[in-house]
Amino acid sequence: MSKKSSSVPEYFHVDFEPIGRRVENNAGKTLLAAAQTAGVQLVSLCGGVGSCNSCRVRLVSGELSTPTREEQDALGADDLAKGYRLACQAIPLTDVKIDIPPESLTAPQRLQIEGQETFIEPDPVVTAFDVQLAPPTLDDLRSDVARIRQVLDDLGIACPVIRLPVLEGLSGRLRAQSWTARLVLRGDEVIAGLPQDSDLLGLAVDVGTTKLAAYLVDLEKGNTLAKTGRMNPQISYGEDVVSRIAYTINNEEGRKLFQAKLVEAINDMLAELHNQTSTSSEQVVEAVVVGNTAMHHLFAGLPVRQLGEAPYVPAVADPMDIPASEIGLALAPGAYVHLPPNIAGYVGADHVAMLLATDVWDSARTVLALDIGTNTEISLATGGRLLSCSCASGPAFEGAHIHDGMRAAPGAIERVQIVDGEVRVHTIGSQPAVGICGSGILDAIAEMVAAGVIDSRGKLQKDNPLVREEDGVVEFLLMPAESAGHERDVIVTQKDVSEVQLAKGAIRAGIEILLEAAGVAHDAIEEFIVAGAFGTYLDIRSAVRVGMFPTLPVDRFRQVGNAAGTGARQMLISAERRQATAEIVRRVEYIELTTHPNFTNEFIKAMSF
Amino acid sequence: MSEDLLARITESIVGGEPESVVALTRKALESGLQPLEIINQGLVAGMNIAGERFTRGEFFLPHLLIAAKGMQGAMELLEPELGARQQVHEAVGTVVIGTVLGDIHEIGKSLVGTMLSANGFKVYDLGVDVPKEDFVARVKETGADLLGLSALLTTTMIGQREVIEAIVQAGIRDQVKVIVGGAPVSQAWADEIGADAYAANAMDAVEVARRVLM
Repeated sequence: MSKKSSSVPEYFHVDFEPIGRRVENNAGKTLLAAAQTAGVQLVSLCGGVGSCNSCRVRLVSGELSTPTREEQDALGADDLAKGYRLACQAIPLTDVKIDIPPESLTAPQRLQIEGQETFIEPDPVVTAFDVQLAPPTLDDLRSDVARIRQVLDDLGIACPVIRLPVLEGLSGRLRAQSWTARLVLRGDEVIAGLPQDSDLLGLAVDVGTTKLAAYLVDLEKGNTLAKTGRMNPQISYGEDVVSRIAYTINNEEGRKLFQAKLVEAINDMLAELHNQTSTSSEQVVEAVVVGNTAMHHLFAGLPVRQLGEAPYVPAVADPMDIPASEIGLALAPGAYVHLPPNIAGYVGADHVAMLLATDVWDSARTVLALDIGTNTEISLATGGRLLSCSCASGPAFEGAHIHDGMRAAPGAIERVQIVDGEVRVHTIGSQPAVGICGSGILDAIAEMVAAGVIDSRGKLQKDNPLVREEDGVVEFLLMPAESAGHERDVIVTQKDVSEVQLAKGAIRAGIEILLEAAGVAHDAIEEFIVAGAFGTYLDIRSAVRVGMFPTLPVDRFRQVGNAAGTGARQMLISAERRQATAEIVRRVEYIELTTHPNFTNEFIKAMSF
Repeated sequence: MSEDLLARITESIVGGEPESVVALTRKALESGLQPLEIINQGLVAGMNIAGERFTRGEFFLPHLLIAAKGMQGAMELLEPELGARQQVHEAVGTVVIGTVLGDIHEIGKSLVGTMLSANGFKVYDLGVDVPKEDFVARVKETGADLLGLSALLTTTMIGQREVIEAIVQAGIRDQVKVIVGGAPVSQAWADEIGADAYAANAMDAVEVARRVLM
């Protein structure tokens, strides 16, 4: 209820649907102003002058100011009659309820995507000393290394190790730099002799099965200087982890090939990062690479066959430091690549990095964290315990195995609403629709359930006006050919519904089994963290409505984006954070779902809506 | 009344309500219906409808799994009763099934087992991660007509070849027909490793099983 001090109220309530935001709007202010106050990101291309039609909303209840001339021109009589208005023009005269069509929202409701860039005190594993060396003379014939030893000894650092790749460049460099240098030490090892005052840089890489992400970081300040991404070049040898493992079994050279492809792609990204920041590869004195266990193994050149056969054990789970020069990575010649520990065959260092970045492992609260992909890794922290599992959720949310599925790219339907029997969609880049990406198919199914288009078992209801049968195939029309970008109908088939049921059923079953193992009820989950690319863009409400996530107040969910990349960066700049991963891995209780006695039951239960 | 109960069991199987299937089965037993009647006219009738819909593309894996869960729940009640009354389910064939060594995927293989049971086969399910020696031993022991081998990973399908080689070595290759299946498996793979048939899904497995035994 709005406050009415006299005959003129000070403000009215504005309810924004379907996102469920309510805001007090001062009398006389437009709906666009109300949206801005509420943090609802309405599209406003013309800047709020009523000329572009991009902030179209629909009045559900209450009373608004008389349509302006601009609204009449932009919307036309038909739309006005249906209650459509321009948010930049319409002013509430009473409390109102407003429906925002998907195309008028700039972004799906994303909850704290950027979050989690918590400041970490830089404490890198490398340290640098600016030194001046005595030049050799006919009276002083000591070797170059002896001179370095001397100056380090003076600083209290005894017996440094200098490996061959560093020695190769050092003599020339010392002379070129007039016997000054910035010596970079890692433990008792001299790993670089840079020009004095050079910035020390580090590289963090998240090796995903599908995508790579690389970050160039200032090791001493702790900030990220530049970032870039690529497709994983291994993808042409198999979409998923298992088919790549199979490739290495059937092709002896496969393992080395996959390593070379990865290194080449990372070097490519490095070159781009150096370009962006006017830096050079010799400044990059440390790297951290995270990935799932198979990607970790393939990057390190380790055998992966045992990951493809039960009981799916990693070759190595301990952290490793690999000399960059040994695998051809274009860093400083003496630099090392740190690979954090793995938890299990299907819960890798990337999940460890995510647990680190989100502080789940260290939380005194009950926190559930997951990263949705072809394999979904889930961890639950509660009462000092940390339980993890991995479930085969399949590629449906990456658009695969879906009739009109596609990756999240321009023209992909990313949001869907069904309002009063009318289907509304929004595509990435507002391009004509050519297919559906993961967040779109999730939305579509959630809306279809809510609209009664599919029943609780996932069956399309033939008697629903939105459902049609063509050549015996029952399907739901999402976007007719005349509006689509490729002159074909964009549809959701019964099989698509089933694919989503299998995917969300597997994820929910994993969640249930972890909760059950820890003896924790749904309500007790204080925070529910969703990481990863799909996790960034999915609409939490849809995930809850289809039953993929348990029903919790929406403010308990947190979407954290690429937390694995964030964790990798933290390990790059902080030795302490790096050490914490050992503690994480030591504490994790891994639960194998495939053979868990309750898995099939939970899975089947979770497939319903 | 009793016919009504059986029809409701069938409906609950098809409608995907495993809890009602079990409750109705209990009620049917209490009302004096014979376990075999309940199985054949209630449960199997429902599984067959679900199976037909699956074949027609109206049902998909989730529906079949939910239906099978109802059937399995009811069978847990009925099997002790069958034993107590010394009634036997007359079998159209005996099948040994399992998921090959190195592979622990259970669901698809168990669904095949349920569909074969519902269609009158005597099924010995050896579970998952089954060594080839166990397949050989159980085929010999049960005198099985059929051997069903499941593999869900491209990395483990090689295990199907190894089992076939093992039954050849054991000298029982011509006593048993081998059917292979699983997500990465194909007719071409079945041909390559010398299997008798490939089944694309649980319903297909029933068809294929009948065909190879003819």
